[in-house]
Amino acid sequence: MNPGSKALAEFVAEATEILDALGKDLLVLDERRGQEADPDLVNGIFRAAHSLKGLSGLFGQERISRLAHGTEELLDRLRLGKLRLDDTALDSLIEALDAFQALLAEAARGAESEPLTRRVEEMTARLAQLGSPPASAEEDPLDRLELDPQVRSVFTEYEEHRLRENVRRGVSLWRVRAAFDLSDFDKGLAELNARLKPLGEVISTLPSARPGGAHGIAFDLIFGAQTTTEQLEAGLQGTPAELSPLVVQPATHAAAQALVRAAEPVTAAALTRVDSPAAPAKKGGKKKGGRAASASTAAPAQQPLLPASTEGGESTSDGAVAPGDALVPVSASGLQASGGTPVTYLPGTGVAQRVRTVVTEAPGTSTVVASPVRPDGDTSLRSLTQTVRVDIGKLDGLINMVGELLLIKANLQRLAESARQDGAVALSKLFGQELARETRGLERKLEALQEGLLEARMVPVGQVFDKLARLVRRIAREAGKEIEFVIGGGEVELDKLIVEELSDPLMHLIRNAIDHGVESPEARLAAGKPRRAVVALRAEQKGNHVVIEVSDDGAGIDEQRVREVALTRGLITFAQAQEMSRRELLNLIFLPGFSTARSVSELSGRGVGLDVVKNNLGNLSGIIDVWSERGKGTAFHLTLPVTLAIIRALVVGVSGRTYAVPLNSVLEILSVQPRDIRTVERREVLDLRGQTLPFMRLARMFALPERPVNRYFVVVVGLAQERLGIAVDELHGQQDIVTKPLGGRLQSIRGISGATDLGNRRTVLVLDVAALLEEGMALERRRA
Amino acid sequence: MSRFAELLDDFFYRPDEDVAGLQDFAAGSDGTQASVPEEVPEEYLAFRLEGECYAVPIRIVREISKVPPLTEIPRAEPHLLGVMNLRGELLPVYDIKVRLRLAERPPVVAGPEAPPPPRDARILVVRTESGPAGVWVDTVAGVVKLKPSMLEPAPPGLRSGDRDCVVGIGRRGPNLYILLDSEQALEP
Repeated sequence: MNPGSKALAEFVAEATEILDALGKDLLVLDERRGQEADPDLVNGIFRAAHSLKGLSGLFGQERISRLAHGTEELLDRLRLGKLRLDDTALDSLIEALDAFQALLAEAARGAESEPLTRRVEEMTARLAQLGSPPASAEEDPLDRLELDPQVRSVFTEYEEHRLRENVRRGVSLWRVRAAFDLSDFDKGLAELNARLKPLGEVISTLPSARPGGAHGIAFDLIFGAQTTTEQLEAGLQGTPAELSPLVVQPATHAAAQALVRAAEPVTAAALTRVDSPAAPAKKGGKKKGGRAASASTAAPAQQPLLPASTEGGESTSDGAVAPGDALVPVSASGLQASGGTPVTYLPGTGVAQRVRTVVTEAPGTSTVVASPVRPDGDTSLRSLTQTVRVDIGKLDGLINMVGELLLIKANLQRLAESARQDGAVALSKLFGQELARETRGLERKLEALQEGLLEARMVPVGQVFDKLARLVRRIAREAGKEIEFVIGGGEVELDKLIVEELSDPLMHLIRNAIDHGVESPEARLAAGKPRRAVVALRAEQKGNHVVIEVSDDGAGIDEQRVREVALTRGLITFAQAQEMSRRELLNLIFLPGFSTARSVSELSGRGVGLDVVKNNLGNLSGIIDVWSERGKGTAFHLTLPVTLAIIRALVVGVSGRTYAVPLNSVLEILSVQPRDIRTVERREVLDLRGQTLPFMRLARMFALPERPVNRYFVVVVGLAQERLGIAVDELHGQQDIVTKPLGGRLQSIRGISGATDLGNRRTVLVLDVAALLEEGMALERRRA
Repeated sequence: MSRFAELLDDFFYRPDEDVAGLQDFAAGSDGTQASVPEEVPEEYLAFRLEGECYAVPIRIVREISKVPPLTEIPRAEPHLLGVMNLRGELLPVYDIKVRLRLAERPPVVAGPEAPPPPRDARILVVRTESGPAGVWVDTVAGVVKLKPSMLEPAPPGLRSGDRDCVVGIGRRGPNLYILLDSEQALEP
């Protein structure tokens, strides 16, 4: 690989990762259409667009960079509240994501097509003009918030916007103050953030004006709570956090006023909240004592200093809520004593000033704000993940290397064996034993190595599922169907290569389910079903296989119509149709050129769907099965091996040649006398427990010199409902094999999926069961 | 070869392994050579097929291998002799004698009916547009340096069948080398 293409591959890998993250967040936004957008999500998408812009600029990917710039700008306006995230904006973002993916695909090929460039240009222009202006406010709600201008000045534009948004929406605002030990404050802060996240929004994290002690550091988190005070308190139990409310001044609106009133009892409760028992004992104890004195004098009715058990917390808040406004002055004094943020209704009382007063009272507080910044900067350099991204090709290379090592080990074993057999020389025998022992050790380690490498290739199927979920929404919108998309088992792991190859077949199946399987909302209502159809995608591990189910609760497949279509297209003869069971009829949908869709949609129904799916799965040694019931729905079951890198194979011999048959497609093995082979209309069949089994001789199929044998072994292979007996001369047993694709110049070879090495330096071909089956069936049909 | 040596064969360094990178490096370090106005000879690998002497530019030859056990591919084109496993890499091996009208049908060299390969036979691993490929040669004659003045276009009287894979004739002293276009020669 030359440096250029390597850099490109790196870029594509990185950009894909960004797009994946972006897509995930967009999906969540899409799902919550109509609700207030989660600012964290918008911010996350903004950051993703920003990184994409930087990355593509770095690699000279102009078109991506330009579109990313447009997207970033739109998102910036969105997150700063200059625009509202309406449906058009969201659709454009989703559209932009599609465009990014198309651009990336072209970049990966090193191509640059004209239509896409034009599309990107149009889109960039559209993004620039997009968006409805937000409802304009006559006054800045931030001005109503009691906050020192100095504190306010350190907010970024975004933080200011979020704060304003929270004030506007009347969310109760809190200052969460927490002190941590310097040695591990990053962990403590992260934990606090994690606790706060589900309860509301952390708007800003500021170094606290309060001293953190010689080895401590304190932070003020400006927090917009979406829960009640009790929930907030309960959520923060066990952290060294103290809550104090930020008061919003009575606004001109009556509504806002009511809001502030409502917040007051909350205030009182929170102020007297005690440090958690987990807080550093020495300091916490002192503080508690101090506060206890002042609080108890001011408000003997409250019992805030009881150990912060759940009951204690509850009783505190209960007590606080009941008295209502009356408690406000109490809270103010309690606050001052405890060194928290003073809260007052009096306008013009600077918060920071008060704080500073408190600070000067406390001993040993010379370093206040400056020190926390540096360690913060240091920790942020540390990477957040422990993962390394590896090219799958490298892993393939390592797997192959292990395969080679296993062969060398086999050679060593043979050497050891022959030395041991060479019993004439005692020394040689001893040496052989020693060598054999060491080789066994080597074998175990090699197996562990192989296992580890296989594990490293595993990725959760959820990777594909998430991408498909995005698609489902688009398809459903375009098809005018109402779909509930259910995903299950996304954590099931499969080989990376299989997961990659799986996305197209799954996409086809899901498109089919939405386009053809699911009825229109009206038809569903008429049939007495709920308006929204359910399309489900589930994965499940079953032993060495993973079963993926794509199901819908739609109309099901009309087998009579399948039969009709197959007849009119000449896929089957009338006589054949007469004999076919329902299952067999259903399986006709996998034939090339079959499509029952009356209207050819953009997404499916071109008759290339299911046979492609079947072929793709065959390449993965997978099996597809269909179940359908009229009026109840359709389900496709895809059975896949967990990995393709190493598979178990049956080693067979024909005319002196050796072939490997992937064991996952072998159903059973029969021993057959030549006289058991019957001829029906000039084709050879076997009678297998009363059923006719199509039968073919591998030697004849491969045009090998046939050798007379007195009995055949018949390997019965099956994919979906198709069964075929393949006659071979000998069975050599089972073996784990590392299949190498024939690749490059040999891709057009029929019936062979790859080659492997069984340890005797001879290359053994691996049969492509799906292709052979297809061939056998085609012969059947032609003869019939 | 003893059985021990045979088993250890894979570990031995072979002088004909891929050292193109090193050669490039060495060539680049010699700054004076490029300025010499004299014509620069190109190196060709000469080999024999049915007694005739052929040559291909050495830069397209990745390595030369002894003939390993070949595995025949059922139902493949006749000029595909089989596949070989070269240090874990799967390579197709082709016959070009039929293409060059040197033989009526490709030799049977793979499968259980094949006789052991002749002592001098080798597989040239050549780089092609669609990946590396092996070419069966009867014997490798060596490396020849041919200056541009030693090259002649292919004579018009050449048999029509192999015309497009012969790009010219190289003449060095009494020896004639038929220069091949390997891409063309590997076409069926």
